[in-house]
Amino acid sequence: MPVPRARLLDLMRVQCRIFNSTFNPEGLRLGNKILRQRLKGPALASYYPRKMGTIQDLQRVYTDELDIFDEEEEDRFEKIKILKARGKGAPKKKRTAEESKKFKGKKK
Amino acid sequence: MSMFRAKRLDLGCFVNVKVIRDHTKRKVFAEHEPERQALRYIIRNLSLPARTRAQAQLQLAQMHCYTRPTQIRNRCIEGGKGRGVLRDFKMTRYNFRMNALAGSIPGVKKAAW
Amino acid sequence: MATATSMRLPWRAIVRSVTTRPTTQSIKTPPAASIPQPFTRRWASDSASNTPIGNEFASASLERAAATEIEGTAGGAGVDAESHNASTITTTPPSESSPTESPEQPRRETVNPDTVRPPRAVQAAYLRPLRRPATHGLPVCDLQLRSYSVRNLEFFADFCLRAAYYLGLPAFGPIPLPRIVERWTVPKGSFIHKKSQENFERKTLRRLIQIKDGEPETVEVWLAFVKKYAYYGIGMKANVWEFEKVGVGRTMDAEMEQMRSEVEPTLRQFAFKKGSAVEDKVLELINRGDFKAASGGNAPMIRTPTYKLPKN
Repeated sequence: MPVPRARLLDLMRVQCRIFNSTFNPEGLRLGNKILRQRLKGPALASYYPRKMGTIQDLQRVYTDELDIFDEEEEDRFEKIKILKARGKGAPKKKRTAEESKKFKGKKK
Repeated sequence: MSMFRAKRLDLGCFVNVKVIRDHTKRKVFAEHEPERQALRYIIRNLSLPARTRAQAQLQLAQMHCYTRPTQIRNRCIEGGKGRGVLRDFKMTRYNFRMNALAGSIPGVKKAAW
Repeated sequence: MATATSMRLPWRAIVRSVTTRPTTQSIKTPPAASIPQPFTRRWASDSASNTPIGNEFASASLERAAATEIEGTAGGAGVDAESHNASTITTTPPSESSPTESPEQPRRETVNPDTVRPPRAVQAAYLRPLRRPATHGLPVCDLQLRSYSVRNLEFFADFCLRAAYYLGLPAFGPIPLPRIVERWTVPKGSFIHKKSQENFERKTLRRLIQIKDGEPETVEVWLAFVKKYAYYGIGMKANVWEFEKVGVGRTMDAEMEQMRSEVEPTLRQFAFKKGSAVEDKVLELINRGDFKAASGGNAPMIRTPTYKLPKN
């Protein structure tokens, strides 16, 4: 005995409700494929290794309790000090347009 | 693009401008992925009015290029190179060889069979 | 780890026994009557394999032992020495006194390994792990261990089996699963020269340990224990199956009703996600002004619907 279509559709509707799928008996293109896709953003965004705890972070956290020595930073300061003493330090920052003119007075 | 770039550098690998750029693109894509997928869904859903779908198409096309997944390229975490990167180790073939020979990649040995 | 510490005990017993006895005498196996059959065989072979090292030690440690004992008396531990003397006279037969020691000197109380049996747990450390029989044979948990090194893997699989035994879980395995071989071929140089390449490979070894008819709670305890004492260079993955009677839904509902007063205050602090992020975004976009305008929403006599999620 053939089963009536309406009954089959009812069955399908119930099935879709129970298994949480889309009831689409006409086979329309509803783009549900895209809703089913997983978001891959988090996986892609975690490709590069992130920066771990640095000495600066430690210093910031334990400003009161511990005196943490950042050797690289101290070396850098020392180098700058030596350069300045030899008169080879970086030039002073020019704040105004007036100061930044390179050859003042020469060109007119 | 500078508006997307993080204010503080949060990378722990080799850093050059290309790596920073790629990293920024990844983060921007992750942020905008739901929106992109929503627009894609609207475009592909034939039960919606044609004008809505056309509007969605326009909007998707107008989104910033950094939100596109096709802009993302795997780069070497050791040297920032964009070509010849082994996906398993996120390294270029030469960096992989150097690390493998030094024994710093667990389990990888020279093979002979 | 438990096995590492317990393995040292019998070794010490063997060395001590050799120091007090003539070196020529070989170590006897423990009396067979006191130990079940599978124990004796391996135990005997183990102690036999240890004897040559013990003998080497013997001559050196003999003198050392004598020297320390003299120092002990000179230091003036009078009471101790006397008590030692008394005890040794009663316990040790005269034949066992070594030639270097004079009868006046106090001697340590000696333990004869032939008469003293090490604890069962210590003996078991030398043997293959004990197992419990499965009554029903219903698999409950599959633990897969992965590593690049056989040594670590075998050792840890053994540890897992022992842990399962002492928790009363019938464990099966370790079943060697097919190893995963990955190979990479890369040019040797950093630039061109494709003709000179090098091959690299990584072999992942796998072992499977299956637990049958265990209590779910005990299995959890076992997994937690194994995780706590995780060994270096070993990855673990567990598949756990739980079985329920017919009518799970009803019992779960009943349990939920019971727990309601405890759970709800906690649950109230959580926000539940209805659909996916994409779904929400679709509705937000499609109901936005410019989308409605694009569908003719601004034209006269046209009403565009506001879309909602179907109630389902």
